[in-house]
Amino acid sequence: MSATDTTTQDFKVANLDLAASGRKQIDLAEHEMPGLMATRAEYSEEQPLAGARITGSLHMTTQTAVLIESLTALGAEVRWCSCNIFSTDDAAAAAVAVGPEGTPDNPQGIPVYAWKGETLEEYWWCTEQVVNWPEGKTANLILDDGGDATMLVHKGKEFETAGAVPDPAGAESEEFEVFLTLLQKSVAEHPGRYTEIADSIVGVSEETTTGVNRLYQLAETGDLLFPAINVNDSVTKSKFDNLYGCRHSLIDGINRGTDVMIAGKTAVICGYGDVGKGSAESLRGQGARVLVTEIDPICALQACMEGYQVVTLEDVVETADIFITTTGNKDIIKASDIARMKHQAIVGNIGHFDNEIDIAGLAKIDGIERIEVKPQVHEWRFGDGKSVLVLSEGRLLNLGNATGHPSFVMSNSFTNQTLAQIDLWKNKGAFDNNVRVLSKELDEKVARLHLGALGARLTELTEDQAAYIGVKVDGPYKSDHYRY
Amino acid sequence: MPVLGLIGERFARERPLEGLRVAACLHVTAETACLVGTLRAGGAEASLCSANPLSAQDDVAAALATEGADVHAARGESLDAYAAHVATVMDSRPNVTLDDGADLLSFAHAADRLDGLIGGTEETSTGLLRLRRLQRQGGLRCPVLAVNEAMSERTLNDRYGTGQSALDGILRATNLLLAGHTLVVFGFGYAGRGIAERARGAGAAVVICEIDPLRALQARMEGYEVMPALDAAERGDLFLTVTGSRNVLRGEHFERMKDGAVLANAGHFDVEIDLPGLRAVADGEPHTVLPLVERFEVGGKALNLLASGRVVNLAAGEGHPAAVMDVSFALQALAAEHLALHGNGLEPAVIEVPRELDDEVARLKLAALDVEIDSPTEEQLEYRRSWLE
Repeated sequence: MSATDTTTQDFKVANLDLAASGRKQIDLAEHEMPGLMATRAEYSEEQPLAGARITGSLHMTTQTAVLIESLTALGAEVRWCSCNIFSTDDAAAAAVAVGPEGTPDNPQGIPVYAWKGETLEEYWWCTEQVVNWPEGKTANLILDDGGDATMLVHKGKEFETAGAVPDPAGAESEEFEVFLTLLQKSVAEHPGRYTEIADSIVGVSEETTTGVNRLYQLAETGDLLFPAINVNDSVTKSKFDNLYGCRHSLIDGINRGTDVMIAGKTAVICGYGDVGKGSAESLRGQGARVLVTEIDPICALQACMEGYQVVTLEDVVETADIFITTTGNKDIIKASDIARMKHQAIVGNIGHFDNEIDIAGLAKIDGIERIEVKPQVHEWRFGDGKSVLVLSEGRLLNLGNATGHPSFVMSNSFTNQTLAQIDLWKNKGAFDNNVRVLSKELDEKVARLHLGALGARLTELTEDQAAYIGVKVDGPYKSDHYRY
Repeated sequence: MPVLGLIGERFARERPLEGLRVAACLHVTAETACLVGTLRAGGAEASLCSANPLSAQDDVAAALATEGADVHAARGESLDAYAAHVATVMDSRPNVTLDDGADLLSFAHAADRLDGLIGGTEETSTGLLRLRRLQRQGGLRCPVLAVNEAMSERTLNDRYGTGQSALDGILRATNLLLAGHTLVVFGFGYAGRGIAERARGAGAAVVICEIDPLRALQARMEGYEVMPALDAAERGDLFLTVTGSRNVLRGEHFERMKDGAVLANAGHFDVEIDLPGLRAVADGEPHTVLPLVERFEVGGKALNLLASGRVVNLAAGEGHPAAVMDVSFALQALAAEHLALHGNGLEPAVIEVPRELDDEVARLKLAALDVEIDSPTEEQLEYRRSWLE
């Protein structure tokens, strides 16, 4: 293994020798990402990202490699880390570090700090490495997934302004303790660095529901430090990635992790948003009986109308076989719930953060034993001999146990990301520190770019028809409040 | 009905049924009229009565009579009238019977009117149950082709036909929204499976009750909730029986049902829902709330019975779509021809429809759909033969 050494090289990945295999996967993915590749071709002459220095924090997968290379092809400089400790595809990370022109002995790619199975300390160290640029340069754009890079900059500046980083010992979670420890050290070494970074950043584009929630909270309190584009709520993102992506990758993760027969099992999906809808359909398609838990009466009623039984976790925790959290909220499945599950029940999460399932609480149960079946698959054996299987330690199981969403779906998401980065860079200074979504025109454009590859043929409005419904022949076709 | 039409064209050319007397006890619908027409085109003389007192379409019966067929059926006829019609049709001393529920052959055996009879066909699983019972008791005296069990029939008629039309009947009778409601299906045979699939497609939560472990397992592996009827009785908004058995829903179930529950049957006979049992647990007489919907008060709750517990797709809907009946009746026509040509050599038993008839129906149906398929190459045939050796 040629593990990488950051004292001489500005990147850190698991094994550069995986680069050739990663490159083959990237080549295959490019064919399955027609929208992103078309966008790359459309803007390659113009170089709209010339001068942009993008800090990216997003699952370092093969599809993300195609995104990274699209951004650099349009003129940007890029530094990248993963936004989850388990989600990196080491081959893709190696290929990105080596670059299309380099070799493992002479890497010429971009600075990527990511490998599968980081510790929390390593994770935040990686994020720090990509938020901080070398040679006195600073990032001027963030491409975020879950908002961790944005949070590092915001908290860094906040604590610098306050004059001190809070004591890590008082942190509410293990991860926040790690985060504060890192900031304490970072701020002590380079006082004022995060204020400088925050001032140079002209915008962030955010990929997920969870990160978008954080941005809206910051905007509401007036604490958002730069303009943000909510990529998640592009129709071609949330109604595709969240829905069709999860429909594909949830069962992929369960299958690779456990190889259990899904047909005939009873599965509980916690949350019936876009991710929950895709997840429920995914398991039903395999022949599972799917039950749904919800707090929102509208989503709950939607689940009923699709024929799913809506229950509380309490009702079914002792009888169901598979439990999947999709909520974006915390404390969905408690350790005491897991203790009541039946022998060899499967527990996993496909929501962004690992706080939906209380793994830390599980570890504190008397007499419990954690046995690694294989990486990202753990049998938690209780004192009485009963055991429950936990996938990816409660982190995104579709990325931890499988390879995340397929390229075609990610092409939709990442075309939006690329257009958002171009928009932020072109319009720097033009927007307040608020959250906005991409225009309907761009959303429709992203969809249009993917139809050809599927052999779909659009019908065109006549002038007369367009006038009748009050739209232009070329769109946009729907009002902003249309829900698809 | 293109498949039957293609057979009719050949029959008209070849007249394979010349002089054959055919008696049919089938639901008198437009599709049955086409079958009778096809048989007559082949040279047969046809007599027809209805297989259910509620299912006859009077306009069709009238039209058939006008065309010269011997028809005995009226919608809503009494049970006595119904029995009389069966007897009248058997008076024609048929050579071949076409049954839907085995009423003709049951009558013929009971009344000893079998002389001249080559054999019969049976359209339903319920009829086959009766005939096999007769055979086990040593009483079956003619060959019966089990049209119901032919693969083309099973898939098209039971799975796709009943699957669609049973729900159609319920919706027409009640105008209920399936989405969001729980439908309990009794029986996960071909018909039950087709119904469950479609109800789920419409957004219902589907619960299956079964007595056969293999079918119950299939239902569970398809993702349906499977539970005993007593538990399901408390859960369902709609109950639909398709078992071919009797008293599937009875007093102990009625008493547990929710207020407003709807009860329907898509099995052949009206015995799947225990109607005397329902009357016994009900307070007072039922009242009709909609045509074909009777409301029973059971312990302060209202239970709604559709079409008096008779086969709901015919009683409340229009029966199977023509395309489905086309395949069934194409088989019936070919089975009648087979009996006419080869029936005297067959043993007196319930026997399988010969594979060639099944293949021929499927072949004609594909042609009607403009679908082409491949034929095995010589090499492939040889490969298969070498394995068989």
